[in-house]
Amino acid sequence: MLSYTLKRILQAIPTLWVVITLSFFLMHLAPGGPFDGERQLPPEIEANLMASYGLDKPVWEQYFTYMGNLLQGDLGPSFKYKDFSVTELVAQGFPVSLELGLWAISLALLIGIPLGVIAALKRNSSVDYMVMGTALAGVAIPNFVIAPMLALVFGVFLAWLPVGGWNDGHWKNLVLPVVALSIQQIAYIARMMRASMIEVLGSHFIRTARAKGLSESEVIFRHALRPAMLPVISYLGPAIAGIITGSVVIEQIFGIPGIGRYFVQAALNRDYTLVMGTVVFYGGLIVLFNLIVDLLYSALDPQIRYDNE
Amino acid sequence: MSQPLLEFDRLRVDFDLPDGTVTAVNDVSFTIYQGETLALVGESGSGKSITSTAAMGLLPELARASGCIRWHGGAGDEDLLSVSRQRLRAIRGNEISMIFQEPMTSLNPMHRIGRQIREVLHKHTALRGRSSHQRVLELLAQVGIPEPERRIDSYPHELSGGQRQRVMIAMALACEPKLLIADEPTTALDVTVQAQILALLKDLQARYGMAILFITHDLGVVRHLADSVCVMQQGKIVEAGKTDTLFQSPQHSYTQMLIAANPSGRKEAVPNSAPVLLKAQNIHVRFPIKKRLFGPNRYFEAVKNIDLTLRRGQTLGIVGESGSGKTTLGRALLRLVKSSGDICFDDIDVARLDRAGMRPLRSRMQVVFQDPFGSLSPRMTVGDVIGEGLRVHQPLLRRAERDTLVIQALEEVALDPAHRHRYPHEFSGGQRQRIAIARALVVKPEFLLLDEPTSALDRSVQMTVIQLLRDLQQRHGLTYLFISHDLAVVRALADEVIVMRQGEIVEQRDTASLFNAPRQTYTRELMRAAFLESTA
Amino acid sequence: MIMNNTTLTAPAVGNSLARDAWRRLRQNGAATVSLVLLAVISLVCFVGPWLTPWALDEVDWNAFLAPPSIESGHYAGTDSNGRDLLTRVFYGGQISLSVALVATLVSLVIGVLYGAIAGYFGGRVDNLMMRFVDIMYSLPFMFMVILLMVVFGRNILLIYAAIGAVEWLDMSRIVRGQVLALKRREFVEAAHALGVSSFKIVTRHLIPNAIGPVIIYVTLTVPKVILLESFLSFLGLGVQEPLTSWGVLISEGKDMMETAPWMLIVPSAFLAITLLCLNFLGDGLRDALDPKTR
Repeated sequence: MLSYTLKRILQAIPTLWVVITLSFFLMHLAPGGPFDGERQLPPEIEANLMASYGLDKPVWEQYFTYMGNLLQGDLGPSFKYKDFSVTELVAQGFPVSLELGLWAISLALLIGIPLGVIAALKRNSSVDYMVMGTALAGVAIPNFVIAPMLALVFGVFLAWLPVGGWNDGHWKNLVLPVVALSIQQIAYIARMMRASMIEVLGSHFIRTARAKGLSESEVIFRHALRPAMLPVISYLGPAIAGIITGSVVIEQIFGIPGIGRYFVQAALNRDYTLVMGTVVFYGGLIVLFNLIVDLLYSALDPQIRYDNE
Repeated sequence: MSQPLLEFDRLRVDFDLPDGTVTAVNDVSFTIYQGETLALVGESGSGKSITSTAAMGLLPELARASGCIRWHGGAGDEDLLSVSRQRLRAIRGNEISMIFQEPMTSLNPMHRIGRQIREVLHKHTALRGRSSHQRVLELLAQVGIPEPERRIDSYPHELSGGQRQRVMIAMALACEPKLLIADEPTTALDVTVQAQILALLKDLQARYGMAILFITHDLGVVRHLADSVCVMQQGKIVEAGKTDTLFQSPQHSYTQMLIAANPSGRKEAVPNSAPVLLKAQNIHVRFPIKKRLFGPNRYFEAVKNIDLTLRRGQTLGIVGESGSGKTTLGRALLRLVKSSGDICFDDIDVARLDRAGMRPLRSRMQVVFQDPFGSLSPRMTVGDVIGEGLRVHQPLLRRAERDTLVIQALEEVALDPAHRHRYPHEFSGGQRQRIAIARALVVKPEFLLLDEPTSALDRSVQMTVIQLLRDLQQRHGLTYLFISHDLAVVRALADEVIVMRQGEIVEQRDTASLFNAPRQTYTRELMRAAFLESTA
Repeated sequence: MIMNNTTLTAPAVGNSLARDAWRRLRQNGAATVSLVLLAVISLVCFVGPWLTPWALDEVDWNAFLAPPSIESGHYAGTDSNGRDLLTRVFYGGQISLSVALVATLVSLVIGVLYGAIAGYFGGRVDNLMMRFVDIMYSLPFMFMVILLMVVFGRNILLIYAAIGAVEWLDMSRIVRGQVLALKRREFVEAAHALGVSSFKIVTRHLIPNAIGPVIIYVTLTVPKVILLESFLSFLGLGVQEPLTSWGVLISEGKDMMETAPWMLIVPSAFLAITLLCLNFLGDGLRDALDPKTR
């Protein structure tokens, strides 16, 4: 188990390195410099600026400097938010994004799994059709449609909840963004859980469990649930990536001061270092969560062997 | 005799399918007495498994059962079809328990086997903690699991198929049931393992004094094990009686056919003067088991330096259990897997030929595979499947000429030529196997590799396919390499037999002397298991 | 088990799997309705602009943020620049649908080729190629695409390429899995034994049998691609003025939702219905081609 964990961590490093390197060189391929802004700067000032950001050095040297700084947790300065470093901006936004994301993934699991199980147990009944029809809609309709619609209905027409803002994470401000962020994942998880539950319920060892004289609830909770959850567990990686991506839009729509909103603004402002810093940070986060999910999976499934693969 | 234990009284099971109602079991009545073994025999689709699952209340949702299943093993007489769910659960695994055909998948892969056995004890007995642990160890020892203290913590995937079936049996016996329902418990196992499991069941039956309802398609097992027999066909019991009487004087034509459906007859030997058609020397096949991105692969030696010779008109049987390398050897001879060594076909050194060089020879050496469902492309019509070889080997044929040859081939395997525009999924297993034979025959081969061509078929269908193969051999003077795990079939078809184990030849002799006086221990063991002679 | 041999009472002409599948698809109400709706939406998007009285960027100086009305000819209202919303939604639909088709095609071609090569050759080639896909998978692709759009500017060709490049991964995995499984099937071995050439084996045996899952996956890729494109457009990284797309329109609508909710509702409805139909169709196709999954 320990060596498996170490091995997975070692495998994650090249991925991260690819992300960072790709992003770095993409950014430096960009036509024009970061200071080609609205007004033409006098050449000597621009040269000064370039020198102060180390942009006058050869690209490979900048690359090594960047990597070196990165190892110390320094993502470089932001070009637009002149008073802040990228690391500071990320550190400011991260707790907010994290809170939003954790709520969303918890909601997705807490609602998606039971819905899927119920649909599977009531297979081909009206309950099943209703749940699955709704789930398909949830899968199909993107969150940037759902989010403004929710805001329109609950914020504008009914005026029950605020249309935006963070307000230090007051629950009223949390409801709409969390719901908008998790709907798609709820739908995915419910569909997946239903399919895998149906498959497991048809398997031979469930027949064995029934033949033992176990009650239906014992069969489901003791024997069916855990194997049926495995596909959902392995989907958690993509689900988390989806929620992170989704948070970019949701934060922008609801005006939440997380990393996502910085990211969009930076992208539109061509604040290269901030965009890149965010990509690297998100990349690391996704790789980290994938790792955790993998380890969780292998802990749950005894058939995975850590030593021989 | 003793008291009746379980009585099936006019049991009927209907399935409500979208296209209408199908009656799977119809008016079935029979009685199992305490301590006896009753075999329910039938081919696939006869309703034998459904009958037994009805007694456990484990029928699929779409099924409706009527009639009566009286259980005398509890406090009073109960109808298992109408008792409360709660009572049914108290019976399952306690008074009646069941083992299944699929040992590989019948255990929960996520739980240790000890826990799975203990679960039955906790459900039905007052044993807890140390005493239940003790009982589990005792059960594991009784079913012949070595080192129970260690194995109790194993997961199912760490055990072999035979061991898993033993665990299933331990689980079934945990509460000392009065009746054990065994649904084809040995069908998925190798013959030697099958013999062990059957011996174990017999032994345990004597120890626990339970009755066994044994469901099987295999008459050999029935004769060996059962006190009485019920023969089922298309949902009905066509004949019932004591085992000895039934085998000696079967009344119903279906029973007669089933009993007769043991491959009989022997092949007339080919004279030693017949010319050699295929000669292989030092055939060696290995597969990489651990593929590495860089560095050397590790290999599994599937076939180890095997020599064989086949004369024209001869049938060489290759016998072995799963993993013996018999299938791989066959494929190596046809150059379908890479091998080292020399292969001479009609004095042509085929081992040195490349793909293109091999092509003209392909029409002379053909193959029929085991799986009648996997060996025909589901997206081609039967006519296209059979005609494909003609496109390769007689590319100048016109469409009509090709069609004529396809029709001839279908007639030769006794299929309706009008069916050539249909797709494989519209045919039954035996019919598909005939199509596969027609595909091979249409290119006029001299040599045919038959890789378990009858193993996936019901016994009665097997017989017709075997007869067909015999007729074809006579008519066309074909040379066969017949690969099978079924010794009875090989005895009926082959001039000479090779017994393989772990990639090596154990014994190689002419059929009669091999079957009459096997020299090697392994061959003897294999035969004892296959013909279920008593091991005592 | 219960219905053996009943199959042979079928009519003399064989039922190919494709015909069976089509029959099952037509029996699926939701899928049929979706197919019809999709046809209508595509038709309307490509023909509709000639039928509305307004051009794409024509400004109606009498109607800024005008609500939908029959009399004014703005059946879905106007935007803050006085442009007819319905016309813009149609043009946006053209972009969204064409991005969907082109990018899906790109992903199809790359994915099928890559997957088929890896699966057919197997061994080390496969190992290496799939390791690469694994690495690509763990990249935060959405962000790489966004970075790409930021760096190289908003170019519709780049959108096609970028989205196609993201989506081929799944396709290549599916095709590889299919090819690997089919390669071991006995009918392929039988074809080898008959001396059928590699090319014929691929075209006659492997591709026709792998095509079902590929079709299913394509119908599921189209909505994903539309979603990605509108996501980028929504963030302001997609197509540029004067072109528009559903994502852009939804983004504009969101800003005006308190005063002109139709600007949000109309394009959202178009996008949602299209995506919903595509998903229903994909689900229906899966059930039709592989009846065991239901």
